[in-house]
Amino acid sequence: MGPEAGRLSLVRTAAAALLLTLGLAAGFLWLGGFNPLSAGAAMLQGAFGSSSAILSITLVRAVPLILTGLAVTLAFRAGVWNIGAEGQLYVGAVAAVWVGVVGAELPGFVLVPLVLASACVAGALWSAIPALMRVRLGIGEVITTILMNSVGIYLAAFMVVGPLQESRGVFNQTEAIAEAARLPLLVEGTRLHIGFLLALSLGVVIWATLRWTRIGFEIRAVGTAPNAARIAGMISPNRVVLISFLTSGAIAGLAGGIEVTGVTFVLYEGLSPNWGYTAIAVALLGGLHPIAVIGTGVLFGALEGGAAEMQRTAGIPSSWVIAVEALVILSVLAVDQIRRRSRA
Amino acid sequence: MTEVLARLHGIVRRFGPVTALDGADLELRVGEVHGVLGENGAGKSTLLSILCGMLSADAGTLTLREKPITIRSPRDAWANGIGLVHQHFKQVRRLTVLENLSLGRRTASCGWRLPLREVKERAGDLMGQMGLNVPLHAVVEDLGVGDRQRVAILKALLRRPELLILDEPTAVLSPPEVEKLLALLRALATDGRAVVLVSHKLDEVLSVCDHVTVLRGGRTVFNAGRSEVDTAVLTRAMLGVEPRSGSLPKQRSTMDEQEAPSGSQRECRSATGGGDVVARLRDVSAIGPRGQTALRGVSLELRRGEILGVAGVEGNGQRELALVLAGRSQPTSGDVELPSGTGFIPQDRTTEGLALEFDLAENLALTLHRDDRFRSGTLLNWGEIKTRADRLRTDFSVQAADIAVRTGTLSGGNQQRLVVGRELSVSTDLLVAENPTRGLDVLATDFVHRRMQEAAMAGPGESGPEPEAPGPGAAVVLISADLDEVLALSDRVLVMVRGRLIEVPPDKRSRAGVGALTLGVDTAAGKELPHGA
Repeated sequence: MGPEAGRLSLVRTAAAALLLTLGLAAGFLWLGGFNPLSAGAAMLQGAFGSSSAILSITLVRAVPLILTGLAVTLAFRAGVWNIGAEGQLYVGAVAAVWVGVVGAELPGFVLVPLVLASACVAGALWSAIPALMRVRLGIGEVITTILMNSVGIYLAAFMVVGPLQESRGVFNQTEAIAEAARLPLLVEGTRLHIGFLLALSLGVVIWATLRWTRIGFEIRAVGTAPNAARIAGMISPNRVVLISFLTSGAIAGLAGGIEVTGVTFVLYEGLSPNWGYTAIAVALLGGLHPIAVIGTGVLFGALEGGAAEMQRTAGIPSSWVIAVEALVILSVLAVDQIRRRSRA
Repeated sequence: MTEVLARLHGIVRRFGPVTALDGADLELRVGEVHGVLGENGAGKSTLLSILCGMLSADAGTLTLREKPITIRSPRDAWANGIGLVHQHFKQVRRLTVLENLSLGRRTASCGWRLPLREVKERAGDLMGQMGLNVPLHAVVEDLGVGDRQRVAILKALLRRPELLILDEPTAVLSPPEVEKLLALLRALATDGRAVVLVSHKLDEVLSVCDHVTVLRGGRTVFNAGRSEVDTAVLTRAMLGVEPRSGSLPKQRSTMDEQEAPSGSQRECRSATGGGDVVARLRDVSAIGPRGQTALRGVSLELRRGEILGVAGVEGNGQRELALVLAGRSQPTSGDVELPSGTGFIPQDRTTEGLALEFDLAENLALTLHRDDRFRSGTLLNWGEIKTRADRLRTDFSVQAADIAVRTGTLSGGNQQRLVVGRELSVSTDLLVAENPTRGLDVLATDFVHRRMQEAAMAGPGESGPEPEAPGPGAAVVLISADLDEVLALSDRVLVMVRGRLIEVPPDKRSRAGVGALTLGVDTAAGKELPHGA
């Protein structure tokens, strides 16, 4: 990916899309009788107004968005349209909570890696179903991963009222995981856990993998020109598809595992406010560049974090953020298309 | 003389700098089957696309029933009674034949319903009259290609065309199916229509047509009734080998004379002994993309230092031969022995040769990433790859500012130089090239030719294959629809017809001799080659 021009155009596309989104969002707010400026100010205050807003709200919210964003990025780069991060995240959370509760006797340095590994494995296995359907049967993964999302979400919902429900059977949630299974804090006195650091390092690892390694190159080749990759003698495009698909699932699963070990310590229905879907916006706005996705993940974390403050002070429902996220996707696609046309 | 239905006169059509049609004429009569012949690129498809309203002419006139008309769209053509049966069937695979026939047929009485009953009645009548039988209630995807083609013809007939054009209709059919189709065409003409059959295959045209028009280099060079022609006449007209004919394809006319002797010199060289056998096919068969048998028991030995040319009209199994030789696809039967150092120049550089979003170095890595010298552990050795890419850019005169340029922005000639350079760097044993100069200008064509010859020669050329590659050059297979190219470069010439390979004897190594073989006839013997199947 050497070319400077490529990187520059990526930044330009993202910036143009953001401006378009802000303009549209402000326009809609104004039409709705709200003051866009005070809404924006409230949002900024909520997301970045204090060190605790940044550390305990924005960055904590960013962790699952960065992770699922990376999951989507990796898949999309390989030409795998994994829309299933949401379901993969939930099964990852289920596995993590289960191991975190059962493994209470183990010391932390064993239990934490074990919990996170089981979340990865669960996510990978969940994505293996649509992956094999694509590779073996030629069934498109867009539909299958979306369908698998519902199954994963309801599987988690069943677990919290069934096999994994807390022992008194009062709340629709699991038992809290063992102290030893919880992620250490990154900054004492805040809610920011080391999951944030994990997400950052994973972004760097994926970036380096795509850029420098053989498998990374194969992923990019199969993603951008599957025919040329096959004809040039790439041993098996299907193997590459399978590896990226399962790794993507594992990362989405890890997002679920980190959320329950770093923030909630229990699993309940509705753990994720559609992170797995928002991840698509995060990945696209980041131009499918792993490092840029870290940035857009934080940005979306700020959006969601600031939304609460916006509701309190400007009276705008926090669900408005969902509309803004949708606008981001539309803007990215529109800007990208326009740039393509003008280039051709 | 029967009534003239349509007349195209002095048709000219240009695509940018390329003149596809340069004053073509065609006269079609009621009750006749009219054959339109010509080599690849002679302008057949362009001419008929103009007649069907898919393209417009830059100059020339079209008259229908002695009245000048302009056809602006395919819909316009149908309204004027001109119908086309596409080479690729446009059918909904999951629907029945009757449903497919009914699609798009709106009648006042049926409102929003498909006019199934009316269509069934009319189709039944037509099938009775024409002796054309298709199972109306079968689902299209269960049908064979022959049936699907009859469905396409039947669908066209429902719109009551006076003029029916079939573009290469026999390309996908087996010999018995071809017989049935030709009989049907005759019946359609007898029934009072004008029928146009576009084909590469002389024997088919001769067996069914009343009239033949031959296009060459965008012009009508020949036009006569069936009784006045035979294979020899038509072959000469198509290939333009008569000395007095003035319209040889322009860019090649000089090359024809100059390169032919050098071809025979090369032959002498190979006769003194090719190198070791590097690849061997024994009785290999393979299936094409549409499930048809594309290779039928091909046997072949490839030797170092030898350029083997495979000529033939496209779609006779060359694609499958190339993929099998390059190790890119598995045959359905037969033995294959292939070397490890194989380079492959695929015919479509934009989708198969290059990843257009990648830069030069990355495209080089597409091939090199398999090689141990360019990786250490899981890492690719990008430094080494970039050095190599930079050298390749200079050695093969790829016009690009640097190796970080996206290959999608390069011109076709530069893209092909890159592909050729890349593949030569790995073809220590075998190079398979499939139409390697298609769409290139004269300079780039010449460049590619020279590099392929260097690859076959003993020892590396000045910037040839691998500096460290020892001994005699690679075996080179040149598969091309361009006869001149094959004749000029090859030590041995083979012709591919209907999935079989025929070795061309030295005395037939001329445009006329090889051309006749590719068309499925042998001018000298005046007889048809045995049908495969």
